Amino acid sequence: MYKAEIRGPLILGNKDYRQITSDIIAPIDNKTPNWWKAAMTVSSIMAVVGILTMAYTVRYGIGTWGVNNSVAWGWEIINFVWWIGIGHAGTAFSIFLLILRQKWRTSINRAAEAMTVFAVGCAAVFPAIHMGRVWLAFFIFPYPNTRGPLWVNFNSPLFWDFIAISAYLLISASFWYFGMVPDFASIRDRAKTKLKKGIYGFLSFGWTGSTKEWMRYEGLSYVLGGIAAVLVVSVHSIVSTDFASSVVPGWHTTLFPPYFVVGAIFSGFAMVMTLMIIIRKYYHLEDYVTDSHLNAIAKILVFISLIMGTAYTTEVFIAWYSGNPYEMFTFFHNRITGDYTFMFWAMIICNAIIPQVMWSKKVRSNITALFIISLIINVGMWYERFNIVITSLSKDYLPSAWTTYSPTWIEVGIFIGTLGIFASGVLTFFRFLPMIAISEVKSVLKPTEIIEKH
Amino acid sequence: MNTTHFIGVFDSKNDLLTGIEGAKSKNFTIDEIYTPYPVIEAIETLGRKSKFTTAAFIYGAVAVVGVLSFLYWTSVISWPIDYGGKPTNAFPSFIIITLVLTILTVTILSLFTFSFRARIYPGKKYFLPDERATDDKFIILFKKNTAGAEFDVISKVLKAYGASEVYEKEF
Repeated sequence: MYKAEIRGPLILGNKDYRQITSDIIAPIDNKTPNWWKAAMTVSSIMAVVGILTMAYTVRYGIGTWGVNNSVAWGWEIINFVWWIGIGHAGTAFSIFLLILRQKWRTSINRAAEAMTVFAVGCAAVFPAIHMGRVWLAFFIFPYPNTRGPLWVNFNSPLFWDFIAISAYLLISASFWYFGMVPDFASIRDRAKTKLKKGIYGFLSFGWTGSTKEWMRYEGLSYVLGGIAAVLVVSVHSIVSTDFASSVVPGWHTTLFPPYFVVGAIFSGFAMVMTLMIIIRKYYHLEDYVTDSHLNAIAKILVFISLIMGTAYTTEVFIAWYSGNPYEMFTFFHNRITGDYTFMFWAMIICNAIIPQVMWSKKVRSNITALFIISLIINVGMWYERFNIVITSLSKDYLPSAWTTYSPTWIEVGIFIGTLGIFASGVLTFFRFLPMIAISEVKSVLKPTEIIEKH
Repeated sequence: MNTTHFIGVFDSKNDLLTGIEGAKSKNFTIDEIYTPYPVIEAIETLGRKSKFTTAAFIYGAVAVVGVLSFLYWTSVISWPIDYGGKPTNAFPSFIIITLVLTILTVTILSLFTFSFRARIYPGKKYFLPDERATDDKFIILFKKNTAGAEFDVISKVLKAYGASEVYEKEF
């Protein structure tokens, strides 16, 4: 079922191996395009805004944020969960599809993994600065120390989160990097300048493509893939457990782990779609990222959108069915109606309703429509996290403690900063690293060629 | 001291597999095969078998025991804390952190194992018999001393079995 003979050609244009290397490393060899320079300037400015606002937070403390005693988690946690979610799909994409032997992943996995690494990096910023005294972050490490033999709480989901995210960052970065090693060798061996040969030679770790290397490379891919698949599910389950283990209305629900994992994959796949459309358009890689690749991602998105819709409905139904007045209040008077109505309905419309248009083949083959929908989904997923984090905290059991929350410019600045850091990272990846896995694409070339010739 | 090598160049995976068949049928001893992407058949031809998964399993097993013992030590022996009368050896709440730390351990050790066994590390001095092997060619390498025949014989056979080029090189 997964074989290319049934799916149709994965790579168009009757390429040979040499042509594939040339096409994929062309952006590295060519001059920097003007659009790239403009985009890099804008994203660098955004990153600087972020760094300045982060520095301001570290200097003056988190009193500079709009958080208060009731809403102690503001934009920072929304953004944290949002970025982690985006980061998830990269690994989910390459690893689940690797394990399922889905060959169409080969054109897309590299960019998805790059996206993961930058997104998880952005996510890690938020818990760190949320500590207030970020220079004491090392307190969270479990080690015998001068504060006495007092250990961190190993039973706390917040600590699990810290370890899970560290592991996730390491595993996704190494999966990404080692995936690029054979491609660095290809660039090295075709480099015309000494400098380039030197840089990519160093990055390639002395790769030669011998059977000894490939055998262990395959072993490493499957081991990392196998354990990272577990990690993808567990990391976001743990993030959701940060919420679910509390007694806050709207949070303490067993639905949260699967709901978060699926939501994460949803937003990440949408971001993969956004990036792949940009790569395709600006680097003219239509032969590699074909309409059928985008069609496949769109089909996955429409299916996940249905799951998201079901999850939203289940939450509301259970709130009503449980008869718990606090749950009822949270869902019916503080989400569906109330101060945060806009956020709730924005979430429903962006995540559960608009993606349904992708049932139509016409929409799935319209690249502009897909691009817009992928952006809408990411906006919707941000609203989802806003709904979860803010609404439940703003009005809980004690009406005297009720409060509203709005972010300060510092919080907005930090978010803009992470968007800038992410965009700068992705643009650097576009410019200097192989965007598509050269060796993996070559491995799926032959079967696709045969179909085209028929 | 440099050794003379015979190098067979093939244009595609299928040609390479045919070439391997040819070399095997004439009892030539292949020293190494270089390919632009993993070719399982080539790995099998050279009788290479990876114990990577076994190693990873052992790392995992050691990590599980290690982490659980560590948690037991910190929570029960070194600094027991009474959380509202809950047992200090709260095994179920150790499971998730054990899983995650096990994954972290397996990842780190697997990366080191790969680097060590495949000899892939930053700054490594490498030697590639034919630079096209990382681009579009499939290379079979024979050592003159161990190949089992002279260059002319090997060249003739490989060409008959699909090689686009066969040459001698000293390195």
